[in-house]
Amino acid sequence: MASSWSRALTQISPYTFASVGIAISIGVSVLGAAWGIYITGSSLIGAAIKAPRITSKNLISVIFCEAVAIYGVIVAIILQTKLESVPASKIYDPESLRAGYAIFASGIIVGFANLMCGLCVGIIGSSCALSDAQNSTLFVKILVIEIFGSALGLFGVIVGIIMSSQATWPAKTT
Amino acid sequence: MMSRVIKKFFVASMIMWIAPVAILYGFNNHIFPGAGQLSSSSQTLLSGSLAVISVNLVIVLYIIMAMKETGSSEHQPDPAFLAEANASIKQPSNMTANDDTQAREKVE
Repeated sequence: MASSWSRALTQISPYTFASVGIAISIGVSVLGAAWGIYITGSSLIGAAIKAPRITSKNLISVIFCEAVAIYGVIVAIILQTKLESVPASKIYDPESLRAGYAIFASGIIVGFANLMCGLCVGIIGSSCALSDAQNSTLFVKILVIEIFGSALGLFGVIVGIIMSSQATWPAKTT
Repeated sequence: MMSRVIKKFFVASMIMWIAPVAILYGFNNHIFPGAGQLSSSSQTLLSGSLAVISVNLVIVLYIIMAMKETGSSEHQPDPAFLAEANASIKQPSNMTANDDTQAREKVE
């Protein structure tokens, strides 16, 4: 039973893993960014009814969430340039499998790091808008917390890029 | 009619999208001089890190612009409230003048 499960897993084409990794990197990043933007956007518009002065500064929270989506796009563009065709005889070589798994892992790293980062920045941005409407001295303090939150997405992107840089498929021998 | 705030935000968002995609496109299609000699892995590292740095640069510039702008536009108090407040300050000065004259009359 064990040998047939491991055979099944290794017989999955590395292209499958690589394509799913690219899909997760952009799809889940955009999920996190959209979640963050709708949380912070609805609080911002509601708080701006009584205090319209907050809109210009609090759009910074929306920019942070959008940067999360852009990290996903950057890594997806990098990963899809890494996807090359190998001849059919070499498709299950260890080198091929390694490249497929590296692209898959890079996509998952970036996707889920950006998901939680977008969510975090969104919730902090929403309370930033509400407290800025009450007392404008609080804005800079909460912005510092938001900068720490957006660094989480940056960690994911850095590791994802380093991981994807070493995804090399076996050379085509003519 | 777009206010200055929305226009600034829109321009920053557009630059935030276009700059990293342009950098990646330039590296992949050998537009930048001298980028062709790099090995594939270091080309990925360089193009990826330049793209991420450009996004963060745009964010920092936007934060600086936003913090600088709100120093000038202060909250204007409602003009009707202001007029009523001024009227209420002027009124007690009339009332105290009347009291003084009445007190003098009573004593006499």
